[in-house]
Amino acid sequence: MTSADGYRFDPGFLVDHLGELGGGLLRTVEISVIGMAGALVVGALLGAVSAFRVPVAHQLVRAYVEVFRNTPLLVQIFFLYFALPEVGLRLDAFTVGWLALLLWGGAYNVENFRAGFEAVENGYVEACRALGFSRTAAFRQVAFPLGWRIALPSVTNTQISVFKNSSFMIAISYPELTETAVNIVAVSFRVFEMFLAIGVIYLGLVWLMSWGTRAVERHYAIPGGH
Amino acid sequence: MPAWVPPVATYLATGLRTTALLAAISIGASIAIGVLLGTLLTLPSRLVRAVIRAYVEIWRGLPIIIILFFIFFVLPIIGLTVETFTAAAIGLSLWGSANMAEVVRGAVQSVPRGQTEAAAALGLPWPARMRYVILPQATRRALPPLIGLVVNLTQQTSLAAVIGLLDILEAAQRSIERLTLTGGDTHAVPILGGVLVVFFVICLPLTMLSRWLERRLH
Repeated sequence: MTSADGYRFDPGFLVDHLGELGGGLLRTVEISVIGMAGALVVGALLGAVSAFRVPVAHQLVRAYVEVFRNTPLLVQIFFLYFALPEVGLRLDAFTVGWLALLLWGGAYNVENFRAGFEAVENGYVEACRALGFSRTAAFRQVAFPLGWRIALPSVTNTQISVFKNSSFMIAISYPELTETAVNIVAVSFRVFEMFLAIGVIYLGLVWLMSWGTRAVERHYAIPGGH
Repeated sequence: MPAWVPPVATYLATGLRTTALLAAISIGASIAIGVLLGTLLTLPSRLVRAVIRAYVEIWRGLPIIIILFFIFFVLPIIGLTVETFTAAAIGLSLWGSANMAEVVRGAVQSVPRGQTEAAAALGLPWPARMRYVILPQATRRALPPLIGLVVNLTQQTSLAAVIGLLDILEAAQRSIERLTLTGGDTHAVPILGGVLVVFFVICLPLTMLSRWLERRLH
């Protein structure tokens, strides 16, 4: 392909830079996996706190969720990286990377899990209580196993967003996939090859994740709906 | 009031105007294109659906930052030079319209099938079925996720700072740099904290409205 001003598509260029892109992808996967795992744990735990209105704690969780859902992730990243050192807390780009993803994704997952737990019909929990289950046992044995399955589709959506948003770390120069590609472009001007390559990588991984999570959702679907 | 505050505040206000304009244009374009594509997604024609589905999957699947870079860097190669504002508006609208199409499709398909069948049995053609039966019901269901998307787009405008648009976030960053260069305190906590507060104050009421509407549907 040659454009009007003589730009020629050069697949060989991509082959030469596969190693660098691989390194960037590895760092993307690294911060995403830590961020996603953290967001899942935070979401499930605090989602339960929120759904069962644990005194005091649930108001704190509410405040955390509203702050992180109603401000842009990029501004949160800048705050963690550029503002916190002023109050004596200096975090490196890697830490800000996974921590920002964890806090942001966690806030969305709290809401996803809360909605899931609340959607479990009251009758189930009441039946448990009538059978002599404690509140904790009713949650562990019934509300949790049903609730997380109801929450699953929205939780997996959030998890995929966490992965995609790892690209925001370019703003603090963390060498994940996007930053790596932009750096290569800055010295080589092979814009088209680079962005095509990382576009395909991101799309491929996102599609793979949605395909995988759909399989998981089917496997754990509650028979007969809920 | 400390001496550094007034110039920084004025600068941030200029940036906020750019942010607001970018948000307004992207939200408007996303809704207009998204409603059109989402409605067409429910057409019986396989070909039409396949083409729109490709559009939706591509722009929804890519990180927004990649879309912005793509437009900002790749379009000039084919001879289309775009300013940062235009690039950001196009990028956000591509992403937003793809998501909006999904919102509309979801809402249309959540209207019980019997409604379409009844309208068809009465002899209404597809456009009339949409116009008089399906869309009025779908609109109510689409409202909560639509407001969610508006909040999302408003927040995503901040990404334009990464391609150098002087929005509120970029204005904040430049203010912090300037204060650093003049040798004093950077005041990064109040400045970036201020940006967080601005977004929070705009987005929280919308989030609450969306949640309230959602509860009313159930």
